[in-house]
Amino acid sequence: MKLIDNMNRAYLGEFEEIVLLSTAALDGRAYGVLLMHEIAENTGRPVRLNQIHSALQRLEEKGMIRSNMSEPTPERGGRRKRLYILTAYGEHTLTQVREVRENLWSRIVKPFTLAIDL
Amino acid sequence: MKSKLPPQPPIWADKLLSLVCAPHLLESILGDLHEEFDYQVGESGERKARMRYWREALGFLKWRYIKRPKKRYPSTFILSHDMIRNYFTMARRTLAYNKVYSLINVVGLSIGLAAAMLILLYAKDEVSFDQFHANSPNIYRITNKYINPAGKQVGATGNTGYVAGPKFAAGVPEIKAFVRYHGHRNDIKKGEEIKSEEIFRVDSSFFSVFSFPLLSGNPKTALKEPRSVVLSEDMAEKHFGSKDVLGRTILMKDSFDKDARFEPYTVTGVAKKSPQNSSIRFDILIPMIIGQSEIYRATNWFNTFMNTFVLLNPEANLAQVERKMNLVYNADAKEAIKEVAQKYGMKDKKEYSLQPFTDMHLSAELPSDNGLVRHSNPQWSYILTGIALFILAIACINFVNLTVARSLRRAKEIGIRKVVGSGRMQLVIQFLGESFLLCIVSFIFALVLVQLVLPTFNHLADKALALSYLFDINLVLGYLALFLTTGLLAGFYPAIVLSGYDPVKTLYQRLQLSGKNYLHTSLVVLQFTIASFLIIGTLTINSQFNYLINKDLGYNDEHLISVEKPNLTREQAQLLRQELQKDPSIIAVAPKNNGRWNTSVKVNRGADLAFTYETVDPEYLPAIQVPVVRGRNFSTVFPADSTSSVLVNEAFVRQAGWKDPIGQIVDFSYENFKCKVIGVVKDYHYTDLNEKIGPQLFAMRPSNPYGRFFVKIKPGTETSSLRHIAETYTRLFPLNPYTYQFMDDENVKRYESEAKWRQIMLFGTVLTIFISCIGLFGLATLSAQRRSKEVGIRKVMGASVASITRLLTSDFLKLVSSSLVFAFPLAYYAIDKWLQNYPYRIGIDVFIFLEAALLAVAVAFLTVSFQSVRTALTNPVKSLRSE
Repeated sequence: MKLIDNMNRAYLGEFEEIVLLSTAALDGRAYGVLLMHEIAENTGRPVRLNQIHSALQRLEEKGMIRSNMSEPTPERGGRRKRLYILTAYGEHTLTQVREVRENLWSRIVKPFTLAIDL
Repeated sequence: MKSKLPPQPPIWADKLLSLVCAPHLLESILGDLHEEFDYQVGESGERKARMRYWREALGFLKWRYIKRPKKRYPSTFILSHDMIRNYFTMARRTLAYNKVYSLINVVGLSIGLAAAMLILLYAKDEVSFDQFHANSPNIYRITNKYINPAGKQVGATGNTGYVAGPKFAAGVPEIKAFVRYHGHRNDIKKGEEIKSEEIFRVDSSFFSVFSFPLLSGNPKTALKEPRSVVLSEDMAEKHFGSKDVLGRTILMKDSFDKDARFEPYTVTGVAKKSPQNSSIRFDILIPMIIGQSEIYRATNWFNTFMNTFVLLNPEANLAQVERKMNLVYNADAKEAIKEVAQKYGMKDKKEYSLQPFTDMHLSAELPSDNGLVRHSNPQWSYILTGIALFILAIACINFVNLTVARSLRRAKEIGIRKVVGSGRMQLVIQFLGESFLLCIVSFIFALVLVQLVLPTFNHLADKALALSYLFDINLVLGYLALFLTTGLLAGFYPAIVLSGYDPVKTLYQRLQLSGKNYLHTSLVVLQFTIASFLIIGTLTINSQFNYLINKDLGYNDEHLISVEKPNLTREQAQLLRQELQKDPSIIAVAPKNNGRWNTSVKVNRGADLAFTYETVDPEYLPAIQVPVVRGRNFSTVFPADSTSSVLVNEAFVRQAGWKDPIGQIVDFSYENFKCKVIGVVKDYHYTDLNEKIGPQLFAMRPSNPYGRFFVKIKPGTETSSLRHIAETYTRLFPLNPYTYQFMDDENVKRYESEAKWRQIMLFGTVLTIFISCIGLFGLATLSAQRRSKEVGIRKVMGASVASITRLLTSDFLKLVSSSLVFAFPLAYYAIDKWLQNYPYRIGIDVFIFLEAALLAVAVAFLTVSFQSVRTALTNPVKSLRSE
């Protein structure tokens, strides 16, 4: 049953979901600053670095992403980046979230129309 | 070409984050921050970017980023049994292997600790003074202040008269009891022998207010009966030869009352010896009975000569009590205050207050005096503490310097320990432990040392301290604290330095102490600064002391004997002179009043002038060889001299502002009595040199009694003259005890406290120099060892022994010389302050500083040059052979 499946699903906050999705979208290039810019651009809301870092930390603790260090980069004063990629569990969670959403969307009988009907 | 650096993010933000954030997160956090900063600089300018950087950085100050990850390996067990045993073995071996250094450290630390222990003992005694009375928090002394019309305090005294105690006790309900305590002298007859002893007249409440236990007798009734007496156990032993003397009688009479007869007093109590930390110390107590001759004093508020103590209710409010006391005084003494204001022109207002009994001992303003003993100056405690801390600090510096300088030899041990898994904490504990071990040894030696020097110290500090006082919880805690502080102070720095060595460097023998060890040099400088400071201080005290005892007093005190004789009448004086001068070796006999009288007269029709009032006869000034500079001395040729003529000293003339002093009138207005000045006496130091010469007036008035006489004898006839004086005295005055003093001895005794300062400073300085020098010796030895190869090469190349000695010595001498730069201004300031206490003092002499410099350098040179010469003399083959 799908319902029981849903109950098993790990809890994912809204911001975490966005970070997780962005990480997936960046496909292995995701790291702190880049994620911040992506999210700010795509959602239009101001994001601070420490929020991204804490979301990433939480996701890593939940096992949805994993990280490894890149080569040293000159623009960071010779520091390495911590690059994040999704784990299988992360991918699975995202798929589930999407299924739930789509399932719900499909049950809306009267799709929304634009408020100003031209 | 000028290339501009790209803008950098705020460095302090980075530093803060590196300090706080967990190391494993730091790299990506800082990296992200920097990358973002670069981006923001391009986007919105450097200033905004910096602001944003700070905001972002502060966002990372959260527990999430601060929390350190769990270690993956278990840490080593710090206090493992085997390792501790190993530490002890190592400590023992190191100490035994380096005997010289261990000895230097132990000797230095023991002396330092012993000094500190003595001071703790001393301080405890000072602080505990008078605290042993069960009522002690509620006992106060009645004191009074004089307030001038402008509202300023112009004087204060802790003394009162007969009237204050009973009146206040009757008028203020909070006062539970009062005790008057009046020091006096009584002649005591034992067989045919008469002796004058100090006695105290006290109220019968004495034993209920104060806690002086009685061996026998009832404390409640002991002093009730008029002819009763309480003796101390020592006095009972001395007089009766036994302590069990209750009910026996003792013959006594007032020493100063000319009509007094010997009367039997019954012993009603034998008191235990007064504790040594007590301001009240008595041998004989008698009840206070105000005799007929003193009846005028019994109601006089303005005649003050003794101490009065009151016992307050524990709940009493001090300010309230003082207010009530002044109400009582102002009501009772209303008439007297008016009268005094009229008669003596006293405009200052008298205000009564209470001083806690336990504050008297160290109070500078209201000292324990007039029968109360052992008052001490708090300055003393500060100076003693200062010296002790200096000595201890210097010993600790030795420890630090020697341990660090020697640590190269232990580098390998440290390296190996680290390689096989010792953590830094373990090494710190090991080295601290070693310093504590040394400290324990020193501590034990220090205890022995204290026990040895305690008698000398007691003598110098005028105390009766004993090591058994140690069994006191506060003092034990104090010593424990002292021990821990010393151990930490001496061991902490070496432990940190030694445990920080890099194992790779130590094992490849590449470790070197950095060329210039600033800490080490500055510590040596500090040591010698202290030492030179103390040398200068000691030299100054020494010359001031010599100045005081050698200064020309303005009169000749050599071969001058002073003999006490209370109530010496004019006729007796005449007879005495005749009898004494039968012996040709007696040059002059001059009677004089006893003690010091102060009073004031009106001069220039109105102005008050206070002076020292001397009652003499014509022979006095010639006998002490003081010239009359203007006018003439008293003379028997002018009979009026004895009633209406006075002599004054130059200070008197100056203060009165007289151009022509002869013939001026001085007006004893309170007695309605005027005198004419017939001569001016050259100023002489009639009291000790701690006081400026003030106005002095000499008169011969028959109503003023003589209390003693001076006898001037020929040099070399001391034995025969003294025998003659004693015989004549006992023949003429069989009822008076005979005591005499040589004036020149007396004048030296006035400076006993200076003499003690001198000795204590001398001890302190010698110890400081000694400890500094053994430290320097150790350092010189180490440096000579380290440079032995260099010396060998120099010698092979042709350097002379002299040049090598100079090379090895000059480093240390430079340090010692530079310490003088610091010591001089400090010492100048301190001795200048100290000398201000003396109206007659030496100038601050460059010579003292030069002497101190010379001494410091010479001592350092001797210490160092021994090692240097030895190194310079060694055969270079020996030092070079090893490679």
